[in-house]
Amino acid sequence: MDNNPRGIPKAPFIDDVEAYVSKNESVEVSLKKFSETLSKYRFMENNMLQRRKTLESKIPEIEKTLAMVDFLIAKQVISEVGFEGLGLKFYHIVYTLQDSDEPIRTRFELHDTCYARADIETTDRVYLWLGANVMLEYPLDDAKTLLQEKLEKAQTSLNHSKEDAEFLREQITTMEVNTARFYNWDVKKRQETRVANEEDAA
Amino acid sequence: MEATPDAEIQVTWEDQQNINAFSRLNAKLEDLQVQYEDKKLEIEYLDDLAMELELADEDEPISYKIGDIFIDLSLEEAQDRLQSEKDRLDYAIDALKNDMDEVETKLAGLKKTLYGKFKTAINLEKD
Repeated sequence: MDNNPRGIPKAPFIDDVEAYVSKNESVEVSLKKFSETLSKYRFMENNMLQRRKTLESKIPEIEKTLAMVDFLIAKQVISEVGFEGLGLKFYHIVYTLQDSDEPIRTRFELHDTCYARADIETTDRVYLWLGANVMLEYPLDDAKTLLQEKLEKAQTSLNHSKEDAEFLREQITTMEVNTARFYNWDVKKRQETRVANEEDAA
Repeated sequence: MEATPDAEIQVTWEDQQNINAFSRLNAKLEDLQVQYEDKKLEIEYLDDLAMELELADEDEPISYKIGDIFIDLSLEEAQDRLQSEKDRLDYAIDALKNDMDEVETKLAGLKKTLYGKFKTAINLEKD
């Protein structure tokens, strides 16, 4: 049986119901098996959606942090530009020169709906929260690289879970169609038997 | 997406793949539509914001939200940032629109094929 790249098995397609039933179990047993497989797939689909939600909330978090680090880097460039006295053309691309020595004035969240004023000195270092109660100091460029890597990884993993969800969707559909076809075949078969019996009786 | 109440029509592997593709693309389209609406809304907010900034006092700093905090930016800086965010969103919206068109074309094709074969025995409409 084929698997997808993450090892999810592919649902079997039943080509000929009649042949399948005569070769394997009865319709009842097959239908029961199908419904088991179906609920396994549904369970996996649910897990995948959960995973996707987690990633979808994680990615904006990383993007926000990255935006902040980018902002700090932009501020930092200004001071370098001022210091090394690069040409006027350059200095217009990055923000205005006079900002460089001034602290960055911010309002930051103390708690929901409660903000406080803080001035941040121009800095070349930030602290990144790594989880597990650990925070590390990084030079801005390293912080940027790290965050970009994390973002990329999260996006790849989001794409994978999207692919898996699509794959699962297909397998679920196959199993649903299998079930419907078995069921219909069974109904038809019963009707035929009944008609045949009535004819015999007549 | 139940198939064939009158079981006369045989479902082949090819049909099954078409049905699967239809179901997958349908889910994808819904997903894209949600993203599209979100981005559309976001750009509307940014447009409103741009209008507001037109009227803002040039000497007053703007509290601009970056990440989770508000940072005082000059009007010009704020407008620059706003513009680059708008460009980024416009780009994303265009990409989404393209994807949606592509998926819709594929869906229409599959619909034609599947209805052609199964007639009324299959229902491909949304509830």
